[in-house]
Amino acid sequence: MANLAELKGMIEAALPGASVEISDETGAGDHLRATVSAPQFEGLSRIDQHRLVKAAAKERFDDGTIHALSVKTSVPS
Amino acid sequence: MPGMADPELKSKVEELIGANPVLLFMKGTPDMPRCGFSMRVVQVLDQVDVEYGAIDVLPALQPLREVTAEISDWQTFPQLYVNGELIGGADIVEEMFESGELAEALGVEQPAVAQVPQDGPPAQSPPLQIE
Repeated sequence: MANLAELKGMIEAALPGASVEISDETGAGDHLRATVSAPQFEGLSRIDQHRLVKAAAKERFDDGTIHALSVKTSVPS
Repeated sequence: MPGMADPELKSKVEELIGANPVLLFMKGTPDMPRCGFSMRVVQVLDQVDVEYGAIDVLPALQPLREVTAEISDWQTFPQLYVNGELIGGADIVEEMFESGELAEALGVEQPAVAQVPQDGPPAQSPPLQIE
């Protein structure tokens, strides 16, 4: 089971200054949604923004804790 | 932990990406998607009404993850490639569809009603198969 608070912390650590929200899509802890607004996304394509978020969560993908992660990114206005 | 990608498979994948202006790596087939994310991309492509190739990754899931990790630094499926470039998975495809960017990238007209569907019609395009 993924720890939502831990995942939030991992993304915040990788993207200092980001605003991060994690929600659990199924209630089982393996399909999560990350909504991330980060200044580091400025000028990046959506896929590159998503790559940054996925890279931050890489350990939890590799150990199978997270099965799927929906990502929604934006640049803070 | 992921290993080195199979060179023959990687070469085949690169060939397919080059040969198909629109190529979807998905779980299952357009007629029978086997995951919700893959189904969402198929539904969007149906609305945009564009020809596309489809590869079912399930018969070779881990080897294909290794290949796309090397080609595109991306290991989850579905993956939509347009003109040789990875656009993204379901989230990105849906966002771009709603904004009109997807139709633009595909060189087609934005459908009059561009809504992310809850229930879509089955796809018409035939799937390709990797040997």
